Amino acid sequence: MKWSSFLKDRMMVIILQVFCVLALCGYLALLGNSAGEVLLVALLWVLVLAGYLCKTFWDRKRYFDRLLSTARSLEQKYLITEVMEKPVHAEDQQYYQLLKLANKSMMETITSIRHERREYKEYVEQWVHEIKTPIAAIQLTCENNKTDVTRRILSELEKTDNYVEQALFYARSENVENDYLIKRISLKDVVHGSIVHNKRLMIQNGVSLRLEDLDFHVLADSKWVEFILNQLLVNAVKYRREQGPAVTITANREQDRVNLTVEDNGIGIRESDLPRVFEKGFTGQNGRNGERSTGIGLYLCKRLCDKLGLQIEAVSQPAVFTRFVITFPAA
Amino acid sequence: MFHVLVVEDDENIREELALLLRNHGYQVSVCGESDRVVRRVQTDAPHLILLDINLPGGEDGFHLCSQIRGFTKIPIIFVTSRNTDMDELNSITLGGDDFIAKPYNTSILLARVASLLKRAYPETETEGITHKGVSLHTAAGKLEYEGKSEELTKNEMKILHYLFVNKGKIVSRGDIIEYLWDNEMYVDDNTLSVNITRIRAKLEHLGVSGFIVTKRGRGYLI
Repeated sequence: MKWSSFLKDRMMVIILQVFCVLALCGYLALLGNSAGEVLLVALLWVLVLAGYLCKTFWDRKRYFDRLLSTARSLEQKYLITEVMEKPVHAEDQQYYQLLKLANKSMMETITSIRHERREYKEYVEQWVHEIKTPIAAIQLTCENNKTDVTRRILSELEKTDNYVEQALFYARSENVENDYLIKRISLKDVVHGSIVHNKRLMIQNGVSLRLEDLDFHVLADSKWVEFILNQLLVNAVKYRREQGPAVTITANREQDRVNLTVEDNGIGIRESDLPRVFEKGFTGQNGRNGERSTGIGLYLCKRLCDKLGLQIEAVSQPAVFTRFVITFPAA
Repeated sequence: MFHVLVVEDDENIREELALLLRNHGYQVSVCGESDRVVRRVQTDAPHLILLDINLPGGEDGFHLCSQIRGFTKIPIIFVTSRNTDMDELNSITLGGDDFIAKPYNTSILLARVASLLKRAYPETETEGITHKGVSLHTAAGKLEYEGKSEELTKNEMKILHYLFVNKGKIVSRGDIIEYLWDNEMYVDDNTLSVNITRIRAKLEHLGVSGFIVTKRGRGYLI
């Protein structure tokens, strides 16, 4: 609170007081009092008025400063009405009532939105689990009747399953509760799981695969990491080069960390697009050039990595390579 | 012959799973209703159970598992579409031996079934597969014909194993590559050709010719 704004608010009172002092002085002078006596009265009046204004200003300033600092120290600022003292002044009480009213309605809205979100998340999770049954049935039927047709269906089914998983993890990543279990996992097993999940996609597109030094154990959730690797592999196949596409997966240990590197020799990512690849809905030049892109896959990778406390980085040179490095805590 | 009981409420999946297992040399019985499972386990005495967690009619797979564990130690593999950590934890604590999420990768499913059976019934280990006098010893990694034998590499071993399991059927190159990838051998088309050539050379060396027939554009047949 500033002096100037404080005084401006009280302009009418001050003008009225000045007017009254002048009127009183005039009246006293007319009654035949000496100039000295009149001035003394005027001075006294002004002093009392100034004293009153100063006191009020400091009181108000202290009151609001305290309120502001309390509010700042709160994580949920809107809870201020729950912790502030009930004000004494009639005017303050009115604002307090108003604040309370506004907050109450906001809390109700927030609660109902949270509730709806949780229900929606639960619905998505349930839906994902329901859809897995028919997917499994189609898959088994195709595997039991292998022809060129069913092989093509199986390959499309692999994509379908990837999209379904994406929906599940999107719902999970939005959630405040943690659905993961961090334990000691074998990097080799997770990588193998992810490759098997996408084998048809990779084999049919003639992607050659090289694995090196994956005998490390890390602290993470295997399902989440497998999902992240799935996204990276799908991208590596999607943005492959025409001749001799290849993917290399390696790992190395650096003190108490393990870096997992997934590198392809595909079309790469433009330098200007690189800083934004993990943004939600960002598709970049590659997304515009033909291949369908949703801008969700890498965004989810980043989000899940953040939740698990992992680092993920992208390095690329257009038409040469794209490299993703995930850094895990070693186990 | 091992006997597998498939407990699954979805009829299509149940029948296809049964077909898959029968095609791979298992005797299979199926059960779709949760209240009959325990009795079926007692009467059929299977060697292994594939148990779905979500079953209609009150008793879920976890419940059934603890009931079955009350009288027998036979291997139980949980199959589920609810792929959560809680389920995985529950399935292990309640006495399940393994946990597979839908949609299953069939070769992984078969591998898990085979390895659990091997662990639970070690005495019945098979002595290799024989076809037209040529026998394949998976454990020793050897190929035998009329007393002579040839060592096989891991890749050659797996390729032959897949051909032996599917004897009499045309196996496409794609299927062989997929099978190898399932077993952590990420070969490409060229490597497969090289391996097939080597296997043929080894067969010739044993005095067998024309064992692996190439069906142009369709694959291989033994």
